[in-house]
Amino acid sequence: MREQPLKEVTQLIHAIKMGLVEGSYNITNKTLDIFKYIIMSKSWHSADELMRIVRAQSRILQAALPQETVTSNIARRILKLTREEFDLLQAKVQHFADDSQASLSLHKLVTQTSESNVSVDYSLPQQGLREALLDHLQEVETELDTSSENISVQAEEHIHSSEIILTLGHSRSVENFLKRAIKKRQFLTIIVAECAPACRGHNLAATLANEKNVEIIVIPDSSIFAMMSRINKVIIGTHSVLANGGLRAACGAYTVALAAKHYSVPVIVLAPMYKLSPLHLCEQDAFNMVGCAEDVIAYDSVASREAKVYSPMFDYVPPELVTLFISNTGGHAPTYVYRLLTELYHPEDLEI
Amino acid sequence: MSQFQKEIVQAVLIADNNAWNFKPLSDEGPTALLPLVNVSMLDYALIALNRSGVEEVFVYASTFLQDIREHIKQGIATSASWSFAMTVHVIGGEGCRCFGDAMRDLDAKALIRGNFILLGADTVTNADLRPVLEQHKRNAKFDKGNAATLVFKECASNTPRTGNELLIAVNKQNDRLLYHQRLRMNHKETRYQLPLDVFLSNACVTMHHNLLDPQIAIGSPSMLSLFSDNFDFQTRDDFVRGLLINEELLDSRIYVAMLPPAQYACKVNNWLAYQLASRDIINRWAYPLAPDMCLYKLQQQYAFHKDNIYKSHDALVSKVALQENVVIQAGSQVDTGTLINSSVIGANCHIGKNCQLTSVFLMDNVTIKDNCVLQHCVIGAGAIINNHCAITDGCVLGSKCILPAKTKLANKLLSSNLRSDNNAIEVVSYGPQAYVISDSASAEADDSDSEDELMFKSNKPTIPKMCPLQMLLNEDSDSTYSSDDEDEDGSRLVTPLPDDTNIFLSEVIDSLTRGFREMSNPDFLILEINSSRYAYNMSLKEVNFYVVKAVFSLDSVLEPANNNVLAAISGVFKQLGPVVSNYIKSEDAMLDCLKALEDICEENELVRDKISQVVHYLYDKDFVSEDAVLAWYEQLDVTEHATLRQSLAKLVEWLNQSSEEEDD
Repeated sequence: MREQPLKEVTQLIHAIKMGLVEGSYNITNKTLDIFKYIIMSKSWHSADELMRIVRAQSRILQAALPQETVTSNIARRILKLTREEFDLLQAKVQHFADDSQASLSLHKLVTQTSESNVSVDYSLPQQGLREALLDHLQEVETELDTSSENISVQAEEHIHSSEIILTLGHSRSVENFLKRAIKKRQFLTIIVAECAPACRGHNLAATLANEKNVEIIVIPDSSIFAMMSRINKVIIGTHSVLANGGLRAACGAYTVALAAKHYSVPVIVLAPMYKLSPLHLCEQDAFNMVGCAEDVIAYDSVASREAKVYSPMFDYVPPELVTLFISNTGGHAPTYVYRLLTELYHPEDLEI
Repeated sequence: MSQFQKEIVQAVLIADNNAWNFKPLSDEGPTALLPLVNVSMLDYALIALNRSGVEEVFVYASTFLQDIREHIKQGIATSASWSFAMTVHVIGGEGCRCFGDAMRDLDAKALIRGNFILLGADTVTNADLRPVLEQHKRNAKFDKGNAATLVFKECASNTPRTGNELLIAVNKQNDRLLYHQRLRMNHKETRYQLPLDVFLSNACVTMHHNLLDPQIAIGSPSMLSLFSDNFDFQTRDDFVRGLLINEELLDSRIYVAMLPPAQYACKVNNWLAYQLASRDIINRWAYPLAPDMCLYKLQQQYAFHKDNIYKSHDALVSKVALQENVVIQAGSQVDTGTLINSSVIGANCHIGKNCQLTSVFLMDNVTIKDNCVLQHCVIGAGAIINNHCAITDGCVLGSKCILPAKTKLANKLLSSNLRSDNNAIEVVSYGPQAYVISDSASAEADDSDSEDELMFKSNKPTIPKMCPLQMLLNEDSDSTYSSDDEDEDGSRLVTPLPDDTNIFLSEVIDSLTRGFREMSNPDFLILEINSSRYAYNMSLKEVNFYVVKAVFSLDSVLEPANNNVLAAISGVFKQLGPVVSNYIKSEDAMLDCLKALEDICEENELVRDKISQVVHYLYDKDFVSEDAVLAWYEQLDVTEHATLRQSLAKLVEWLNQSSEEEDD
């Protein structure tokens, strides 16, 4: 059965395609708004129904925008939240029915859920589920809002005075992180690789140049390797983090990571939790996106007639090239990503 | 109160512009709904408007109004991407026959409130028109008579001509359009003529000779009323020309805007342009109008693979079968051993074993059986092609055509049902559901000069067709190469002409052009030419040479209707024959005349192709004698004029024979 997309969902898809909503933070926020709207609406009566709606809409989003994994990530969070809240309420009701213990002990809670894991019937209508979910959504929203802030707070731990930092392109997290570092530390040198063909690195350099007490250098992507020997740390953002700890990052990130490996420079990746997705690289089709040929070679040029022109948007960076992930909850090694994923999402929701 | 409301951006989309170019598919349905890389052209235009922030669109349709209305309704129902933040109205009527009628109708309906974007449904562009609209408004502030801003795109010099190229002159200071001329399709101009006025009355003029007209314009409200006031404006070109000529009278001016190089725009109004646009879309030049960007449908339809292969997840194709630049829609199946290259395959097509498809455009539900070879052709929806068929060189099959096995087709248009109105012509059919239909060009060919049977063969259609693009490019480079050759070769007659002769030639051409147009008395023309001759001190020999050259340099010969150069020549000689015969009297003069012809052959490709018929015609009309032709033929250098000799050989042989007969 084909589910009909909600009006809000189609509008979001359109806005993302048109480039009206950009950046994974904004997309995540908008997706969360849609799911909040679904939870608030009266169209569902049990946890099962709600989960079905969330799954269907998320599937539509995913089919339309296979590259934007954050939408599915948020859907998984909602699903996990629904399960937890349902279990909690169910447990409460049972406790009241049993009347054995008025308060819930941690031990009881754990045993209760693990026992009933197999046979939880989500189709039962549950009083107070909606309110509880909305309550928890508030928490998710605050987490989202403060994620960038929480990441940048850790800047002091990683960046020290008179260090030379290299970054690539323009990531919102990296911008805030570096700004914080500039405020706290002195005599920093920040080298920005421009990240052709979009050259978003120019924007980052322009905004950072407003800060005092810092030297900003913009370099073309071709001189990344030449500069790497002088660099203390590489700090980059990423589009998403895959299940094995690899990155789907802006095109050029692989160059940076390999050069860093060669000179044994640590690579620090800033990735808020909502960018962690339980996907593996083998899903090749959706992995990359190819941009406009015009960016690479002029349409008028003689070579353009015969050439196959590719302008990929992303690079895959294998986990062994990443030294550290910094998320809003702290620093993690790439090998620890699988653990974070199991904490973040319910195992049954990995496949939406 | 109403003036405080935000002005909404409106657009007008003309849905059927030049319907006849896409025969036979244009007879079966609206061209606006013709799929280009599996998305109808109307959708491309609507997406372009939506991306430019247009809020209200009027789609103007006439012949297939109902179909288009249906399509728009369906698009909104399936939440096509243009249906967001944009309202689409379909208007129109049966009576509307041309662009001008549509504009007059719009004026009468008074739907347009301010400046509007005017677009043809056959325009494919990823341009953001907002800056252009702003520029138009700025110009309108300074100039109340600002009627329209035309949007052009610079085109690459190495692309084949599709008939949308033009030459314009623009005032550099204020971007005003001063001169507007469409370029010829099949052979490149060696010279352009511009009115002197353009340069006298403007301090700074830029000329653009490599522009593509994507049929995008920004119109002022006055544009519509101008159409209403001038009933003879049929097309947009009429409008432009009319405004340029009667600039003071109408008190309106046209401005020009160029698209930046990063923005793609083209107009798909014939099969060649269709082929080029498909290639560009598949090669992602029109990004984000790329097949895998799911711009039209909500869901992603294709997966992108290496070598620009876009394959639907629901298509049954082994990857080996697809070579490069291929788009395959859902539900299609390709059997083993088949090779597909540079093609677009619609939904639910079935292609048999061991076929070869190159540059083929299949609409939905096409069946191709085993061992077929298809090249550069378009197959309409639901057509069936049986085993061992070979379809090549710009064939177009209408929908539901059925070709029997082992049919060989080249350069034919086929329709599945027979039109009752062309019963006069004998209809060739390849099967119960495959009738050959004629090109509109050949149907229009005038029968008045049917004295020459050869003429029927010379009927080349003026509508460009699909062909190997490589060949087109090579042709072009060949011609430039040969012209280089000419320059190096100093022994020819074409050494740079001295000034006086040059002026003399252009004066003779002017006199003849005027005389031909105004049908003036040949005696006066002779008088004019003679006075020019004395003014520039020309020898008789030179006069003979240049008069003939001038006759062949008339516009109607250089640019003959339907490429029928013979008809054009006979028309010219009917009028100017007495002038020519006044000069070409003696045997020597005839030799001069033929020498001039030799010269013309080098410049004019059409005459070169038909040289033997042209000489034959001159001989028939007694302009040249048999002896002169034979003498000339003898003089022709064997190596240098090999092709010329070759094409004349038959004629000479025939002349020899007939003279022998006479001798007998």
